[in-house]
Amino acid sequence: MEAVALTPRRSVEVIAALTKSDLKVRYGRGRFTLIKWLLDPFAAVGVYLLLVAFVLNRRGYAVGLSIACAVVPFQLVMMTIINALRAVDLRRSVITNMAFDKSLIPVASMCTEAIGFSACFVLIALLMVVYGVVPTVWILMLPAIVAVTLFFATACAFPAALIGLWKPELIPFVMSVARATYFVAPGLIALRYVYGRTHDLLIFNPLTGLFEGFRDALLYGQAPAWWELAYPTAFGVLLIAIVYPLWRNESPHFAKVL
Amino acid sequence: MRAHIRCEEVGVRFQLDRARNVVTPAYAKLVRSGETVWGLESATLEVCAGEAIALVGRSGSGKTTLLRVLAGVLPADRGTLAITGRVGSLLAIDAGLLGRLTGEENAVLIAVLSGMTRREAAGAMPRIREVSGLGAAFDRPVSAWSQGMRARLGFAVADCMAPDILLLDEVHEALDHEFRAVIEERAHALKQAGGIVVAAGHDHGLLERVCERAVLMQDGRVVDDGPVDRVAGDYVAAL
Repeated sequence: MEAVALTPRRSVEVIAALTKSDLKVRYGRGRFTLIKWLLDPFAAVGVYLLLVAFVLNRRGYAVGLSIACAVVPFQLVMMTIINALRAVDLRRSVITNMAFDKSLIPVASMCTEAIGFSACFVLIALLMVVYGVVPTVWILMLPAIVAVTLFFATACAFPAALIGLWKPELIPFVMSVARATYFVAPGLIALRYVYGRTHDLLIFNPLTGLFEGFRDALLYGQAPAWWELAYPTAFGVLLIAIVYPLWRNESPHFAKVL
Repeated sequence: MRAHIRCEEVGVRFQLDRARNVVTPAYAKLVRSGETVWGLESATLEVCAGEAIALVGRSGSGKTTLLRVLAGVLPADRGTLAITGRVGSLLAIDAGLLGRLTGEENAVLIAVLSGMTRREAAGAMPRIREVSGLGAAFDRPVSAWSQGMRARLGFAVADCMAPDILLLDEVHEALDHEFRAVIEERAHALKQAGGIVVAAGHDHGLLERVCERAVLMQDGRVVDDGPVDRVAGDYVAAL
């Protein structure tokens, strides 16, 4: 069969088309689209800010920015997982009608959420101004930290999409587990304020490296520790090494299930 | 164009879990489900350039599964399949459309997934709009469209891909008479240009106008193959 060859350019075309359609479905159209897109991260981060800065009345160095440095990568990972859990079913109509490389579906889930959540950087910039945090040269590490976050989110999207297809009744449970990982990472309280055995254990959560990487580059103005980028990357590589071959075997059969 | 299709004992397996839901192979292993049914048992078929072939048979006889294998949507779990030529398909009335997107947005998505670049897809929009004959509805979300309108868009996109092989699964039966005539005209043009048309359905009148040959499917097997009027006639007479 003269199938369309999957070149890098072709992959980009398909991912872009899937992402664009996903964004249209998610954000709709009209003049409120941009406002909704800009307000989404404020709503997501706002609840944690209110809880920690006002309800718990915690004191600390730029506590709002510290929380934002954790919530931004977490929201990206979380939203990618939520998107991926339903990604196959949402694309049921194209999967059952068209032959294309379904490996691109989880990648498109990540791209949709990355674009959707890029408005987060408006929030971070705003909080840096509010707390008077002056950027240092280490802010240049931000693209690398964001890249690791995107890679980690993509790695999580593959198993999430498979679970969403295999056992859709587990979707709420998986979402709860994913949310819980935020609370077994230094999300509300930075790692430097956590001591002893808890401190050592938190490092095993790959989200810890992402949170602390954002804090180092944006809040503390210092170089991220090597493990902060290496550990989530290694975790993502391991996840993909395990799940991707399974995905390649399963994806041709998706149309049978849908 | 030298389109060609050759299937030799092609089969498609569906694995079931304990609740008899279809599951994927790895999941079937995970839940240790051993039950397997063959949606397509053994299809052997050769279609040459310039031919139009009708797939007839009862619902569940394997027509749709065979078309999906030919379209590359489903893998052949056994047998060999060789297809020469670019395949364009319309396998369901919803034609792969997403309800919240407009006709144009859906058309771009389908065109890109079918092999066009986004630039080519954007360039093809005026023609798709014209062929579909949807007028102002083309710019509105498809959720409010009728089945016939969806099928029109799906066919217009498939047509714009300039396929060598056109696969149609009952969808033409949802279309109005005006658009059926368009499909018939395109099908005849494709045959004359050396392409292939494979159409499944229960509207034997339409199938006989487009196809000169028919294959009767029964329990996932090809049980008869010959002139469309004879095969369709025998099938109806045996009911």
